[in-house]
Amino acid sequence: MESSGVTLAGSTPVGAQPGEPGLDSLQFGEEIQRLMAVPPENASSFTALLELPAPQAMELLHHAPDPDRVPAMANLSGEPLHKPYPHQTFGSSLTFLSDPALIERAAKYSVFAGEHSPETSSVPSNSSANLEKVKSEPAETDSNPNSSQPLVSDPSVEEKNQRPSAKRKEREKKAKASSKKSKNESSQDAQKLPYVHVRARRGQATDSHSLAERARREKINARMKLLQELVPGCNKISGTALVLDEIINHVQSLQRQVEFLSMRLAAVNPRIDFNLDSILAIDNGSVMDGNLPNMVSSVMWPEFPINGNRQQFQQQWHFDSLHQPLWGREEDNQTFVTPENSLLTYDSSANSASLHSSQLKMEL
Amino acid sequence: MMNPQRLSLSFSSTSYKYRFVQGFIRALKRINRQKLATSLLSRSSPTEIYKRYLKVKSAADASMASAVGLRRAWSRALLQRIRDQERINFGNKYYKYCPAGTRIRGKSTTFTMIRNIKRSSDDRNCKDQESINNGALGWKANELRKLVPGGEAMDMCNLLDETAHYIKCLATQVKLMKRIADFASA
Repeated sequence: MESSGVTLAGSTPVGAQPGEPGLDSLQFGEEIQRLMAVPPENASSFTALLELPAPQAMELLHHAPDPDRVPAMANLSGEPLHKPYPHQTFGSSLTFLSDPALIERAAKYSVFAGEHSPETSSVPSNSSANLEKVKSEPAETDSNPNSSQPLVSDPSVEEKNQRPSAKRKEREKKAKASSKKSKNESSQDAQKLPYVHVRARRGQATDSHSLAERARREKINARMKLLQELVPGCNKISGTALVLDEIINHVQSLQRQVEFLSMRLAAVNPRIDFNLDSILAIDNGSVMDGNLPNMVSSVMWPEFPINGNRQQFQQQWHFDSLHQPLWGREEDNQTFVTPENSLLTYDSSANSASLHSSQLKMEL
Repeated sequence: MMNPQRLSLSFSSTSYKYRFVQGFIRALKRINRQKLATSLLSRSSPTEIYKRYLKVKSAADASMASAVGLRRAWSRALLQRIRDQERINFGNKYYKYCPAGTRIRGKSTTFTMIRNIKRSSDDRNCKDQESINNGALGWKANELRKLVPGGEAMDMCNLLDETAHYIKCLATQVKLMKRIADFASA
């Protein structure tokens, strides 16, 4: 009624005419009562409370330091709860902190309040308690700086807490988004591990079957990549089917090359007298002289400019003796391959007699 | 020469090369001696050359597979295939050369055991395997299976693994045989 009308009348000039401190002193008591009637819900309400009279608060702060701060702050807190000027909050906060003592107290409270969020709920109660104190001590304009400071600092701290809490909310949202990203990354990273430790990505089924299938698919894709590197010209091709085509073509061509070369060797065969030294020397320059058995079989071509060849011609009659230690050494090295070697051994030993006879024939 | 891949393709090519060349040269000499032992006139007839070609080819494959050893499924399957072919082609001669026939049979059962063990371990991948076989890549995978020795018993994952190793070994074999052929004909 009258008080409400006065407050209504008082509120509009507060918003419209920021530079009239006289009106504020008139509306002091009503607005304090109004504040008590409407308990502050959370920290955001104080920002709302602070927002409206922000330019007025600026003026008050700049022009009247301590004594007017109490009514100014009370005035600010008594304002109705709405946020028409959200942008002014931050500007007002800057001006609030212009006073060094206020900055100190605000810093102390912000540190105190920033540690854990429940504090923000306790701070409004503190500020309301302070406002009660303000109400009980209206005459103490020279109020203790200690008691006024908390009152002054609390709304600013509230505002600061409001911004950190808003920031905290934003940070939480960002964290959720990044956690989703990290989930994807972790699932991707997990699939690179040797053991299967896959986390379900967002929007994908999470049964064990689909997880296992996805792991197998990743394995298969990794092996396809390796095959692409092996087969020349496969890197540019995208798509599994075409890559498989290329792989099949490559294997077929290699097998055909083997057949062609063996046909060539079969046709060329009569001139074969191989020295393993020479062949491996052609290979990569790493000639293992000590280990290689000298297995020159034919007498027909003595003019080989390779070391140790002349000696081998004398040794060819000691074919069998050469073979025996050879096979012994081979079977030490190759633990697996006895059947093939045994086959060859028996064959060569069976044929060595015929070889000698044929060589004698040749010489004659 | 070949860089070891991140996955399990550790390919020490030097030892493979050495063993392959050794085994292959040995086999070539054997074949050469056989050729010398037969009549000189019929040496260059096409049938003779064809027969020799088959022997050389099987010798090349056998020496490659034995150089790799029994670690790889494709080498095991290749050796088994060659042994079966030899048994068919040279029935009595083959058994004469391997006096302990039981030993060979023992080896074949080992092969089948290894194959069965591999098969049973791959059974749980059947569902994925069906999906892959029925899909668009299914017939291509079967084509690859025909090419790679022992590929029929493998699922896609192992098939790709064996294919990679097989391609590497085939490339080595081709390179070395080319050198031998050039050396022999030069």
